[in-house]
Amino acid sequence: MSETQIRLSGSGGQGLQLAARILVSGLALEGRNISLSQSYEPTSRGGLSRSDLVVGSSTGYPLVSAIDYLVILDQIAVENSLGLIKNDSTVIVDSERVDSPPDGAHTTISLALIQTAREIGNVRAANVVSLGVLAGLSGICSQKSLLQAIRDTVPARFIDLNLEALARGYALVSAEKSKDTQLTAVS
Amino acid sequence: MSSVQNIQGNHACALAAVAAGCRFYAGYPITPSSEIAERMSVELPAVNGIFVQMEDEIASMGAIIGASMGGAKTMTATSGPGFSLKQENLGYAAATEVPCVIINVMRGGPSTGMPTRPAQGDVMQARWGTHGDHPIIVLTPWSVQEIYQQTLRAFDLSEALRVPVVVLIDEVIGHLVESVDLAKMNTGNPVERKWADSSQEDFQPYAHTEDLVPPMPRPGDGYRTHTTGLTHAENGFPTQDPEVANRVISRLLQKLEHHNDLVECVNQSDCKDAEIVIVAYGITARAAQSAKQQLQGEGVKVGIFRPITLWPFPQQTFSEAIANARLVLVPEMNAGQLIVEIERYRNDSTRIIGLNRYDGEPISPQQIFNKVKEVLQDA
Repeated sequence: MSETQIRLSGSGGQGLQLAARILVSGLALEGRNISLSQSYEPTSRGGLSRSDLVVGSSTGYPLVSAIDYLVILDQIAVENSLGLIKNDSTVIVDSERVDSPPDGAHTTISLALIQTAREIGNVRAANVVSLGVLAGLSGICSQKSLLQAIRDTVPARFIDLNLEALARGYALVSAEKSKDTQLTAVS
Repeated sequence: MSSVQNIQGNHACALAAVAAGCRFYAGYPITPSSEIAERMSVELPAVNGIFVQMEDEIASMGAIIGASMGGAKTMTATSGPGFSLKQENLGYAAATEVPCVIINVMRGGPSTGMPTRPAQGDVMQARWGTHGDHPIIVLTPWSVQEIYQQTLRAFDLSEALRVPVVVLIDEVIGHLVESVDLAKMNTGNPVERKWADSSQEDFQPYAHTEDLVPPMPRPGDGYRTHTTGLTHAENGFPTQDPEVANRVISRLLQKLEHHNDLVECVNQSDCKDAEIVIVAYGITARAAQSAKQQLQGEGVKVGIFRPITLWPFPQQTFSEAIANARLVLVPEMNAGQLIVEIERYRNDSTRIIGLNRYDGEPISPQQIFNKVKEVLQDA
């Protein structure tokens, strides 16, 4: 299987590190080799936060250099990724918190990720809504493995919330695909 | 079933320490090393070991020296600011020849610097941070797997040679999670300290043995011994006699060279025929490796010299490795530290060039690729 580079980015406190850990746990169930790195500020909330994943590295270099799938949950995270986006990258941005997504020939998908989390009762679940969107679009990890990964990773009282968030993420992709034929080609 | 697991570098370090037989950890948590302390606090009680969160880094260093003198394999972990505080006691461990392992997960400096950003700014501090001529071993792993292997090795070297060993990790690989198979890497055969078993009557705790490593007196075995940071004669008591001082300090300094076959550890690839040799360590070496593949694809004759044992610097092996190279590139996440050492071993015909970054971001493969193309064009 070929190499895939993924970045989950936003501001500190949006759960990007946890979302990446869930994805890594899901990929482990499917026997994929990964490298996971991260960057965040020395504060528990705010500031640029990102989690980078190289799945099935072809060179052995563990950090991202050309991102295939980029999730941006806050405008603060846009600039940091500009040099890493390719023409065939897919950039998933939150429609509420990202006013100016990166310009370029790549595919940009703006979705109500945070609003969706709010609708299911907890704005902090936007990370897992995003994970559902990412997985739905990329097919990098099966929904079954991600459901198991959530059960393995998330504190018991938040499991149901996160399972719903994941499902809502997949649903956003389905809704988007039905109105945009180009997206079907991407997936 | 596969034993491959996704594990963070810092956690791999803690697991290796326990596998090596470490049963005493004292530390003061500091970003980006805190996961080591956190993991040790879970792992050590499970094997009847002792974990102590100390009041500061100075006390932590003192505690691991004391526990080691008591017979335990010991470790502490820190980052730059804490490493500064440990230096005085680190010198004491080197002078009194007390085995101990110090992990430094480097962050941006100077001072408290950039706590969550990577750097390689402690290369010279790891060698010369404490005062006076002293022996010390510094190891620089480049992956999660190698953090595990080199932490195991740190304990073995420390116990075998009675010397403090520093494992110098950059924030990137300390926090990196990689898929590794740790079970395959543990030989399950850690080195044990050489304990004194000679006559107690005329016991010399710092005897000039043939291998230059005197056996340690184990507490409870009945040996009368004296330990001091003052320059001491073979009997352990202070001396300022020039002849004795010269003799005992010389043994201390020759110890590592005498055991160079154990100490030296280098990974080099394609250096022999290389026009340009890249010298790198830690995450920067991973970037160099990636750049090398790209450069070789374009027909550039490039090699990589990676000193896994960074100190003592493998000077002989390095001189041989660059014998045919016109250029040596030294990328480092600092303003130029190892390059100063490398300058000492250059041939007259070799040009040494640095690639430096200290903005809290790692050096990318592309940066190294571009720099090599640039210098080859100039040369």
